[in-house]
Amino acid sequence: MTAPSLGVEIGSLKLRNPLLAASGTCGYGVEIAHVVDLATLGGIVTKGLYMAARDGCEAPRIAETPAGLLNAIGLQGVGIRAFVDRVLPRLREHDTAVIVNVCGETVEEYAEVARIASDAPGVHALEINISCPNVKTGGIAFGTDPLMTRDVVGAVRKASALPVIPKLSPNVTDITVFARACEEAGADAISCVNTFLGLAIDVETRKPRLAFGTGGLSGPAIRPLAVRMTWQAARAVKIPIIGIGGIASASDALEFFIAGASAVQVGTMNFSRPNIYAEIESGLVDYLTRHHIGSIRDLVGTIRYPR
Amino acid sequence: MTSSPPSPADRVCPLVKRESLGGAYALLTFEHAGVAGASAGQFAMIQPEAQGDLLLRRPFSIMDTDPSTSRFTIFLKAVGPGSKAVFDLREGDNARVLGPLGRGFTAPAPGERAFLVGGGYGVAPFALFSRGLREAGSAFHLFYGGRSASELPLVGELERRGIPLTLSTDDGTRGERGRVTVPLMDALSLVPGTPRLYACGPEPMMRAVAEISSEKRLACEVSLDPWMGCGLGTCLGCVVKIQDEGEPRPKNRPACTEGPVFDARRVVWEKHS
Ligand SMILES: Cc1cc2nc3c(=O)[nH]c(=O)nc-3n(C[C@H](O)[C@H](O)[C@H](O)COP(=O)(O)O)c2cc1C
Repeated sequence: MTAPSLGVEIGSLKLRNPLLAASGTCGYGVEIAHVVDLATLGGIVTKGLYMAARDGCEAPRIAETPAGLLNAIGLQGVGIRAFVDRVLPRLREHDTAVIVNVCGETVEEYAEVARIASDAPGVHALEINISCPNVKTGGIAFGTDPLMTRDVVGAVRKASALPVIPKLSPNVTDITVFARACEEAGADAISCVNTFLGLAIDVETRKPRLAFGTGGLSGPAIRPLAVRMTWQAARAVKIPIIGIGGIASASDALEFFIAGASAVQVGTMNFSRPNIYAEIESGLVDYLTRHHIGSIRDLVGTIRYPR
Repeated sequence: MTSSPPSPADRVCPLVKRESLGGAYALLTFEHAGVAGASAGQFAMIQPEAQGDLLLRRPFSIMDTDPSTSRFTIFLKAVGPGSKAVFDLREGDNARVLGPLGRGFTAPAPGERAFLVGGGYGVAPFALFSRGLREAGSAFHLFYGGRSASELPLVGELERRGIPLTLSTDDGTRGERGRVTVPLMDALSLVPGTPRLYACGPEPMMRAVAEISSEKRLACEVSLDPWMGCGLGTCLGCVVKIQDEGEPRPKNRPACTEGPVFDARRVVWEKHS
């Protein structure tokens, strides 16, 4: 028997394997290239980029919680032009798909960042960040109002011929409403999900543990929530879903595929296990071989859910 | 000390030696060829291989290296769950070790005297730094301060190495009574020329040393110790406020890749917790 295939397609984006590094957890890729062979990943999603450079939130910005990480970084970044001019040429030297995480304070800014990213050689897709909980304007506001979601996705769709992948916020009552808004606005796929709004308190000082106050919760603590939302979104739309949330092993990734994801992203675990991809990839191959499944694509959405 | 350090490597490697220093303090020696080539002031991100529900590794300064046996040693104080998990490792247990990371101390110029100021567990990198200074023939002295005698667990180790040492404790139970900056000031009034200052320890102490350096116009480096998530510059959790010449305002810069050692003049202290 030949080795099972891990290649997947997200719209017109072809990935060698379905494992992506999540936005904000791998920098712009180049920072980790000396520790991780980027060619072992399907691709990387950049840290969120606006038009201008941003300095982000005050420290402390991260706090570890049980099986989780609470963060309020505030989208510190170099800005899209500096990324394209100074970072992308170095990133292009690596054989991996590059997905730019597009941010904006207005619909126009999202479209402009998307246009600049699309014109740059070596960018393969756009992920639209409508779900960052740690900025005062934009971010999550676009991802928690279905009409704003539709408008921003529609504007980016018009501005770019690359695959457009909105990244949904889990901080909504019904994620299927937002998944459908994205599909109707012309999205090629959906990333599901960003971090959950949380609050950790230092009881001695009675202050939040993060300078920003609230933060976004990630890591294994959120996995069952993210798997549930992936499953809901996958049933609501026809476009592919990229599952994200707490993946720390091949078995964790398999949960997302079975729930309906066509690819997955690893976030928080990049910080402590930058070399986790090889382990997840071989675990996927073992599983597919053991279950006589020829391609990871044949596993997607095969959940046996009692009716 | 002059050769450039190796680029970081992420490896599972064994704890080959564990020496308790009493209380929450221990010396841990791991086998990791990459980190064994670290320069003074660099650090490694470490967690037990069997980590349980704790996600992030913790940063530890390299206290000593032995490139010939591929070993390095950290001086550890168990302060929270992450450092406690490393503290609890037994000889033969495996740990995930990423390093060497960060920018270390700049060596003094030939003929320049070095004053090292270490507070609490911040004294660790000065053991390795002292070795380099001695090899380079630089004159140096280490000021090691803590709250009380029990908080100076590395004294024996430093004395064994013959490092010229002045001790101080807040409560006077060991060495001079008072802040570590008191014997530092005394020494500064005695020596000729312009020694270079290096500080690593609690932030108020480093800030006090930085102020002394600016009053006396001495070069000074401080090793900052913010909360760190990854050590690679990707989580941006460990940013510190750095003011560079020509910049209109200070910028948030990751201590893991741009530090942890910074020229004290660049550090904006107010905002650090
Ligand atoms: C420190 C940190 C920074 C992040 N920055 C971004 C970002 O810039 N843009 C974005 O869309 N998501 C960002 N995220 C969210 C992650 O991409 C991911 O959706 C989330 O962490 C859940 O996945 P995980 O549990 O595997 O970490 C960030 C997460 C963390 C922990």
